[in-house]
Amino acid sequence: MSRFRVPGMGRVDHEAPVKFRFDGVHYAGLAGDTVASALLSHGVHLMGRSFKYHRPRGPVSAGSDEPNALIGTRRSRARAEPNTRATMQEIYSGLRTVSQNKYPSLKFDVGAVNDAAYMLFSAGFYYKTFMWPRSFWDRVYEPVIRAAAGLGVAPDREDPDHYAGRYLHTDVLVVGAGPAGLAAARAAAEAGQRVVLVDEQAEAGGSLLSEPSVRIGGKPAWDWLAAELAALERLGVRVLPRTTAIGYYHQNFVALCQRLTDHLADPDPALPRERMWRVRAGQVVLAQGALEKPLVFDGNDRPGVMLAGAAQTYLNRFGVRVGDRVAVVTVHDSAWFAAFDLADAGSKVAAIVDLRPEVSENLRDGAKARGITVLTGHTVTGTSGRLRVTSVRVNRLKDGGGLGAPRQIDCDALLMCGGWTPSLHLFSHTKGSLRWDADGRTFLPDRTLEDCRIAGAGRGLWGIADALADGAAMGAAAAQAQPGTVPAVENDRTGGGIAMAELPTDRNASRARAFVDYQNDVTAKDLRLAVKEGMRSIEHVKRYTTNGMATDQGKMSNINGLMIAADALGKAPPQVGLTTFRPPYTPTTFGVFAGYHRGGHFEVTRKTPIDGWAEAQGAVFEPVGHWRRARYFPRGREGMDAAVARECAAVRNGVGLFDASTLGKIEVAGPDAVEFMNRVYTNPWTKLQPGRCRYGLLLGDDGFIRDDGVIGRLADDRFHVTTTTGGAARVLNMMEDYLQTEWPDLDVWLTSTTEHWAVLALNGPMTRDVLAPLVGGLDISAGAFPHMSVAACTVAGVPARLFRVSFTGEVGFEINVPARHGLAVWETLMDAGADHGITPYGTETMHVLRAEKGYIIVGQDTDGTVTPHDAGLGWAIGKAKPDFIGKRGLERPDLVAPGRKQLVGLLTEDRSRLEEGAQIVLDPKQPKPMKMVGHVTSSYASAAVGRPIAMALVEGGHDRMGETVYVPMPDRVIAAKITDTQFHDPAGDRLKL
Amino acid sequence: MKDMSIDTIAASRAATVTALSPVARFSLRGRGDAVAALSAALGVELLARVGARAQAGARDVLCLGPDEWMIHAPEGDAAAIINACAGVAAPHALVEVSDRELSYAITGPQAAELLTLGCPRDPDSIAVGEGRRTVFDGATVILWRDGRDAFRMDVWRSFAPHVTHLLATGCRELALG
Repeated sequence: MSRFRVPGMGRVDHEAPVKFRFDGVHYAGLAGDTVASALLSHGVHLMGRSFKYHRPRGPVSAGSDEPNALIGTRRSRARAEPNTRATMQEIYSGLRTVSQNKYPSLKFDVGAVNDAAYMLFSAGFYYKTFMWPRSFWDRVYEPVIRAAAGLGVAPDREDPDHYAGRYLHTDVLVVGAGPAGLAAARAAAEAGQRVVLVDEQAEAGGSLLSEPSVRIGGKPAWDWLAAELAALERLGVRVLPRTTAIGYYHQNFVALCQRLTDHLADPDPALPRERMWRVRAGQVVLAQGALEKPLVFDGNDRPGVMLAGAAQTYLNRFGVRVGDRVAVVTVHDSAWFAAFDLADAGSKVAAIVDLRPEVSENLRDGAKARGITVLTGHTVTGTSGRLRVTSVRVNRLKDGGGLGAPRQIDCDALLMCGGWTPSLHLFSHTKGSLRWDADGRTFLPDRTLEDCRIAGAGRGLWGIADALADGAAMGAAAAQAQPGTVPAVENDRTGGGIAMAELPTDRNASRARAFVDYQNDVTAKDLRLAVKEGMRSIEHVKRYTTNGMATDQGKMSNINGLMIAADALGKAPPQVGLTTFRPPYTPTTFGVFAGYHRGGHFEVTRKTPIDGWAEAQGAVFEPVGHWRRARYFPRGREGMDAAVARECAAVRNGVGLFDASTLGKIEVAGPDAVEFMNRVYTNPWTKLQPGRCRYGLLLGDDGFIRDDGVIGRLADDRFHVTTTTGGAARVLNMMEDYLQTEWPDLDVWLTSTTEHWAVLALNGPMTRDVLAPLVGGLDISAGAFPHMSVAACTVAGVPARLFRVSFTGEVGFEINVPARHGLAVWETLMDAGADHGITPYGTETMHVLRAEKGYIIVGQDTDGTVTPHDAGLGWAIGKAKPDFIGKRGLERPDLVAPGRKQLVGLLTEDRSRLEEGAQIVLDPKQPKPMKMVGHVTSSYASAAVGRPIAMALVEGGHDRMGETVYVPMPDRVIAAKITDTQFHDPAGDRLKL
Repeated sequence: MKDMSIDTIAASRAATVTALSPVARFSLRGRGDAVAALSAALGVELLARVGARAQAGARDVLCLGPDEWMIHAPEGDAAAIINACAGVAAPHALVEVSDRELSYAITGPQAAELLTLGCPRDPDSIAVGEGRRTVFDGATVILWRDGRDAFRMDVWRSFAPHVTHLLATGCRELALG
């Protein structure tokens, strides 16, 4: 039995010792302990060093609001986590924990020199100190500050754990399983609702776990709790412990993080470590209770100084006395009960110091019965002790102001209570408004647009009976039912208190280490200094001092900070304001946000029916949107340039095969199909005959190019539209948008057929030799099936839509077959073309071949600011059409002004290959910064042209044919001549073969 | 469509995911007078309520939107469906999408819960015998609920590996309890 453990007390299993390590030392705790409670049972309060001053710190709370006791936890090198709250981490056999922010050891830390120099590190220290000289910032200040920043050490290995996620729909979600939450869940479930009840603690019960002496419905609190949980189970309530509601979003969408394995000694590796529940709730009841506030006085951060409620929890829930000789300082009745419980459990309570002049009779009687010295109308002005509090300095508050002479009271723990703040975080996430309660000097929830109710201490109520009654009422209201009867509560230790800024002192307040934000080491003095230096809004005070900006998000410090800032400004707290609460409520792992989306499942990788074949051939792939596409097919040790040159030559001289399955396809069908096409695309469609194709250009209403593709007319009332690979979804959405909102009268419907068809593109002068023998039901000779034709037929016995189109400048066919047959037809074509040297080619070769022809790629040669005229595609505009998307946009003054950037070809004088994205100037000798008149959009080596070719957008480019422009590069300036974009077969004779 | 050949993707005591054999699929669009005419031509009533299904023989028709239906039928029935609709003069559009999607059966005691890994819609809002178009892990899918513990999922072919990967992960995860 460890020295501070009380036999038989608490909810820990006294028969189940659990061994773990802290800073290399073995400790034995009990099943049910947290790291903090287990260490406290051995009298260990010192658990960490503070962030800025490296002051020794111990736990100040027993919950998720803990700012001090942050430790590293570790199963293995990769399974390690910094900044874990010792007050939340349950112990398991073999757990290894370490303290943080100390060197060389927790008890002797050289960084504590900062503490001696604390007068220097005042608010705004970094802003003031590291301003000059400017040149020092990058090389000296920032690296040093970065090296000193941060608590703990992040693991240096990939996280081997996995994380899960679920959506969950429920009628009522109850957050917080204390008395209010339990009653709300019960009431809603009895009304027939689907109910989910969550709590961040390892077990349900909330304040009942720390208040076992209360009797509910005639039963001891814990017997009632067990019976109530059994009843909830019978009613089908899903109770999730170890589950934190981290964020409350629109329309009752609440994110929950459930911890599944961090408390287990030897978890099944198949189990996820954590799970994100995305809950959509019809009604939400927030029953999160209230958070206890520290008092602000010199030395309020020494190990052994902690919240009174925390001490009560350590005693009653974990059976641990936080000290042998305990002093108390409070402005609220609740701390008196903590003192009574400790006295009853065998600790000596040295004194109860209460700043209030009077307290109720029953408190005085309780203290008297236990022989406790009561010092009402007194305050605390300091503490002593290096690694643990050893005494507290107490002064009487004089009636007319001022303090009496100090006295010293020896103690090994000091319990403090500055009152209680309703937990407003989740409510505030809903953009709920808050109301200042002048009597209670606290903010209370006011109004929200969500279907959300607050029950219990979360809205300022106090006591178990009130919480139960309010919870039952709110649960019933959420279920639109009448509230039932609430069990009677006996021995409910209710009470009240006052709120304070920092405590008065007889010493120099500017030298006091009176901490408001423990984790960021912000003192009352810092807050007053910030106001003195001109900060008026609490948002500015927060950023200047970092108050409330640590991982605990100001759960303890926000209200105290506001009180002090308001006092310094001489304003009422609501006039100074409250900082914004933002999700997540408590620190949350990246892993649980990522969920299943990591490794191969990180993002969808779309593959075509030919992908497996390409992979087997050793293709090199590239991502195009969500697709992965074969970029080239290297042979032997070929690099990309050699492979692409070979593939290009095969298409120009023989026959090549290309997987174009990723092209977007939209079937536009219905009597008004042609009218729809006329309105959407720039081109005229009325006279396009069924069986014929046309290049279509799509603009936004701003007149800029959005997409393009070849479109075949299958019948009077049916078009087969193709889009770019990346534009498929976008174009369909845009079409649907216009159809549904602008032209709902048109009888035309759009269906994506992208994935219905596998598309195999055969290109090259020998294409027909390979294809013709495989085609059934169609004559594909040049005369019968000219360029830009489409027809149904069979290919290799499979029903097909055959397009005669070309993106290479050679004779080309795009064979559309149902996707399941794509691979078989591909292989048949490869076999049939073997004698002709048929060559599979990838996207890189496709890019070269199209650039040789001056065919643009939307998104590469255009960037959302390019008009059809700029791109040399003015011919694609149906000038006689009354309207199309972008027609009016094209008439905007700046779109018809001279000097726009226009697409041209570039040939370098030294025959070097330009870099895509390189900037272009007219005069390379002009002073810097030079005027840039354009940039290179496409650039490739071209065997067909015999030299590198490029396309570029250049101001007034169409009027600069033959002129020389310059491309400055880091090592030299490259001169290039502006040309037409059609480098190869400009007359297009080869298409017609 | 009950006697599909079985190709198991994943199986656990919680749920089983199997790939189903191809079927003929059509997207049918139309409104007004066309609805009754198409119903008569197909021999199946095109129900107006989104999510409702009607069957005639092996033709199973799900209403996906105010003017949109998805038809599943045996492959041998495809030509008959095309011919039937071709005879309807009222404005409509029939587009074959048989090879656009792949279908998977999701069955077992926790089939509905398995869907909650990736589907933001409440599976219990789909009554037995109904269906919905929704999303699963970011991919558009159509869910057909054939029984309390029996769903079918249609997903575009190239999204299928991603979707079935998560379904397989879920089968294992749910079996852990």
